[in-house]
Amino acid sequence: MGFQFDVGFFVYEIGIGIKYIPIVLLLSVVPLILGLLFGSGIAIIRLFKVRVLAQIFTVIVVFLRGVPLLLQLTILYLMVTLSFDSFAKTVGLAMTAKDISYTLVAVVGLSINATVYLSEVVRTALQSVNSGQYEAAYSVGMTSWQMLKRIVFPQAMPVAIPLIGSNFIELIKGSAIASLISVVELINGTLFEANGNYKFLEAYLAAAVIYWTLCIMIERMVAFLEIKVGVDGKGGIV
Amino acid sequence: MENIFLFSLFMDSFPKLLSRLHITLYIVVIALFFGMVLGTYIAVVRLQKIPILSQLATLYVSFVRGIPILVLLYIVYIGLPLVVGAFGVNINRWDTMIFVMIAYIINTSAFLSEIVRSAVAGVDRGQTEAAYSVGMTGWQTFSRIIAPQAIQIAMPALGNTIVSLLKDTSLAYTLGVIDLVGVIKAISSNTYRSLEAYAAAAIIFFVLSSILEQVFIWGERKLGSTNKITISGR
Repeated sequence: MGFQFDVGFFVYEIGIGIKYIPIVLLLSVVPLILGLLFGSGIAIIRLFKVRVLAQIFTVIVVFLRGVPLLLQLTILYLMVTLSFDSFAKTVGLAMTAKDISYTLVAVVGLSINATVYLSEVVRTALQSVNSGQYEAAYSVGMTSWQMLKRIVFPQAMPVAIPLIGSNFIELIKGSAIASLISVVELINGTLFEANGNYKFLEAYLAAAVIYWTLCIMIERMVAFLEIKVGVDGKGGIV
Repeated sequence: MENIFLFSLFMDSFPKLLSRLHITLYIVVIALFFGMVLGTYIAVVRLQKIPILSQLATLYVSFVRGIPILVLLYIVYIGLPLVVGAFGVNINRWDTMIFVMIAYIINTSAFLSEIVRSAVAGVDRGQTEAAYSVGMTGWQTFSRIIAPQAIQIAMPALGNTIVSLLKDTSLAYTLGVIDLVGVIKAISSNTYRSLEAYAAAAIIFFVLSSILEQVFIWGERKLGSTNKITISGR
């Protein structure tokens, strides 16, 4: 018995997988953008030590960083499915838990996860800016917002870009976990085609090649951006 | 309204979950040990620029780092018996745990090889030259001069990788391993509820990764690591 690998089916599965790239991007780009927005908010709150809020967010961030994404998604999924029916009844919605889009639940879960990690990225980037820069900006009469926009962000960018890039890659790979809460994404999509002929290895390898390609593309993109914003002082900002 | 969270069940889950904790830790330790051996070997191959092997190693590292661990688990689980079977060896009866271990070793080796490589490359070139100039051999230079400095550089990233590895083991249950997460299925088949057990598992993972983090922070201080890259990984 030789090693059986159906190249034709593998190529076919890559074709199927490519159709699922938009779903993978939905599950990673939306969390990336939302994560950057909310993460920046949390980072600024923690950096300026806003009372109560800063402590609450610190606890949430520290806790969620220690919990696997799988558990975060599963817990969210269970909470939504368990509480939705009674919630819908009170609000008067003509929907049951069966009508909820699992994709939406996954996007929300991945966004929460992304917010946690990206808030740490933004915090690191903002902290990398010398405190003298903040003081100087205040001393010339800038408002907090002007200071962040004109002085801090441009200097924090070179630190943030590589970290945002590696988080984006983690999000692409993390989106695979959505398959475990029955979201039809790249893995479940390619597996579905293999259900008839049991050629699961071809299906998984096709999915792997697509994930790999996406990650390499993001890496290239980040490398290009790094040159643009002058990481390592090449651009003369630092 | 039905209660969605039963606190008593949540508390009862802890002993049941902790009774399978050793499986989770076992996977982490084995993956870390063999991943380190394999990863160091890969790093040496790439640093020495050994022809062909070096290119293969680069491809391997890039592929493994570019795919989700979930996909890697299944590729190893389904693919390895097929590949080995082509040579007439039947490993279909192997314990699932072995496939899980192999998958995590492959994953860890790729990430650790990158850490070892950048740590060794991060030691100033003048250090090697100085060691040679005082008459040290290649091995002496590495073990006495390069390695101690490289470990210092590698510590923070190493800590991140180990915490990520711990959290990644939560996916081993997909192949049927009854570890910390796998046992939740057994609990929920008795109680018809699983939210409480998942919440308990989340707490356990949080405590474990906090302990690991503290150990590494302590280690960094001990070794005096200065190059801090604290949050590049998960």
